[in-house]
Amino acid sequence: MLTKETLTAFGANCDEGLSRCMNNETLYFKLVQMALGDGKLTALRTALESGNLDESFELAHALKGVHANLALTPILTPLATLTEKLRARDGSGWEPLLAEAEKQTEDLKALAAG
Amino acid sequence: MDDNAFFRRTVLIVDDEPINREILGTMIGGDYEILHAGDGAEAMRMIGDYGMTLSLILLDLLMPVMDGYQVLQKLGEDETLKRIPVIVLTSEKSAEVKSLAMGAVDFIPKPYDMPEIIMARVQRTIQLAEDAAIIKSMENDDLTGLYSGRFFFEYANRIEQYDASRAMDAIAINISNFHLINDLYGRAIGDEVLRSLADNLMTELGSGMGVVCRENADNFLLYVAHRDDHAEVLERIVTRMRRTEGIKNLHIRMGVYPNVDHDVPMEARFVRARHACNAICGNLAKNMAVYDEEMHRKEIFSQRLIEDFEDALSQGQFVVHYQPKYSILGEKPELVGAEALVRWQHPEFGLLAPGAFVPLLETYCLISKLDRYVWNKAAAHIREWKNRWGSSLPVSVNVSRIDMHDVDFKDSLLSTVRDNGITPQDCVLEITESAYAGYAAHLVEIVTELRQQGFRVEMDDFGSGYSSLNMLAELPLDGIKMDMRLISNITTSDKARQVVKLVIGMAKLLELPIIAEGVEDKVQYDLLKHLDCDVIQGFYFARPMPPEEFVKLLHKGE
Repeated sequence: MLTKETLTAFGANCDEGLSRCMNNETLYFKLVQMALGDGKLTALRTALESGNLDESFELAHALKGVHANLALTPILTPLATLTEKLRARDGSGWEPLLAEAEKQTEDLKALAAG
Repeated sequence: MDDNAFFRRTVLIVDDEPINREILGTMIGGDYEILHAGDGAEAMRMIGDYGMTLSLILLDLLMPVMDGYQVLQKLGEDETLKRIPVIVLTSEKSAEVKSLAMGAVDFIPKPYDMPEIIMARVQRTIQLAEDAAIIKSMENDDLTGLYSGRFFFEYANRIEQYDASRAMDAIAINISNFHLINDLYGRAIGDEVLRSLADNLMTELGSGMGVVCRENADNFLLYVAHRDDHAEVLERIVTRMRRTEGIKNLHIRMGVYPNVDHDVPMEARFVRARHACNAICGNLAKNMAVYDEEMHRKEIFSQRLIEDFEDALSQGQFVVHYQPKYSILGEKPELVGAEALVRWQHPEFGLLAPGAFVPLLETYCLISKLDRYVWNKAAAHIREWKNRWGSSLPVSVNVSRIDMHDVDFKDSLLSTVRDNGITPQDCVLEITESAYAGYAAHLVEIVTELRQQGFRVEMDDFGSGYSSLNMLAELPLDGIKMDMRLISNITTSDKARQVVKLVIGMAKLLELPIIAEGVEDKVQYDLLKHLDCDVIQGFYFARPMPPEEFVKLLHKGE
């Protein structure tokens, strides 16, 4: 179950994320759950594997924006690096970055389910 | 915003990420109605539906289907919708310049700032856009798109601030008898003529050279860099407009105050330009006048008279002179009355004839005050002459057109008579034929009432304007006074003589006494006597004279 404490322990900047949600915890947790379940990371992997740099950049950029707004730092960090690589149309070395983002997302999902 | 209490403004959030939309909506939803769109295409549909009821669009740039740049481009292509302010949501610094160039007004960086900061940006953007819209709506004349008068002066003053030494011309432009264009061709054509003139002025004089406005109706003002060829420019405009608008008799007047004196306030510069423009009003042979020293001198003189008027009244500077009227029906001319004529004994300018100040007082709506003053003076003299000489000669006083529209006009006349101990029968009221124009029914009613009270009413200046036979048929009158311009040519022009003969004959048919004024010599007198004119007033018998001299005539008569 998501709580302020579990999110903080995960590494999220909870205060920042909450303040964007006008300190409405219910809304914040709801949006975090939405971010975890929207399937965009899967779509990003598919796009990267198929070598579609434009679509990959758009997806990475969108994911970065959402996770930045929710202050989910452990997921944001590899996504931000990946976005910049893709912006420079560098299609190499994405695998560890995406894998890190996927791992952090799965960890958070486990916390949310726990 | 103060008026948020009355209605909630609507903000459209366009972002393909529902989480981002939700966060932003939560931040500002307390104060605004929020609409959401998931991409540019959906946004454009909603903008089409809600139009200018949208106070703000918060626009993400990278979106599927249609991105934010395409939305900005489509908005920019629409004259109306481009007035909806757009704040771009972006994490890309590089996107800012491009978005600004495409019409965005501000940015909200991603990840979002604190809610207070975002709310402040949203509020400020909406406020600025609404202020700009209000200013815009007042800035321009709806019909022509030119500046409105108020903003014209703002911009003219701004030109002055930037470069106070530049040689500039203040110009007033007016379409002669514009109401006739409306009457003859219809309002739509009239509007088209105004638009066409506006376009021509902008093309010839406005763009890059100064500012132009339609001040009101068919009056335009220009403040432009000095040039010497205004007459040629005007000629070009009129020639072009006669052709494009199909109005052969189009006549446009231009008054120019060239090389303005920068010490003269901006508004006063245009008073001078209007003054020059008005100087050729009614003169279709001229279409341009330049404000010069002579006009300046006259203007200063007029201004002095207007400023001095109230003091002159209270200090009794206005004196009433009397010009005798003689009946010429008998063998010997017989004194039958007099006309009270006002003079201004100005302490600086000397004795001023009515022509120097009456038209001015009419323009400034001060003539009624002077008329009342004259009625009162004349009534006092009548009383005195009655007492001392037992005179029963009626005295004519002038009643201006504007007097007729005063609600207390009749009461004022009656109280003047009563307060001075005379009767309405002692007075003749001379009304001008121009009082009839446009107000026939009202004038008939007033004249009927005045005659019922015992006043005699004569039509003054008959033949000076649009003399109407209807007027003679409808108005209950006690006499007709021919305009002196009719008389002035009767000895030299056969036509003039025939016209006077006709007017006298008409008066006889209507059984109304006919009076000729401005009779200056014996030839005119003999001719008028021959034509069976009843009464004569003019230098031939006597000039207007002070009351003490007129008394001598009364005395002699007795």
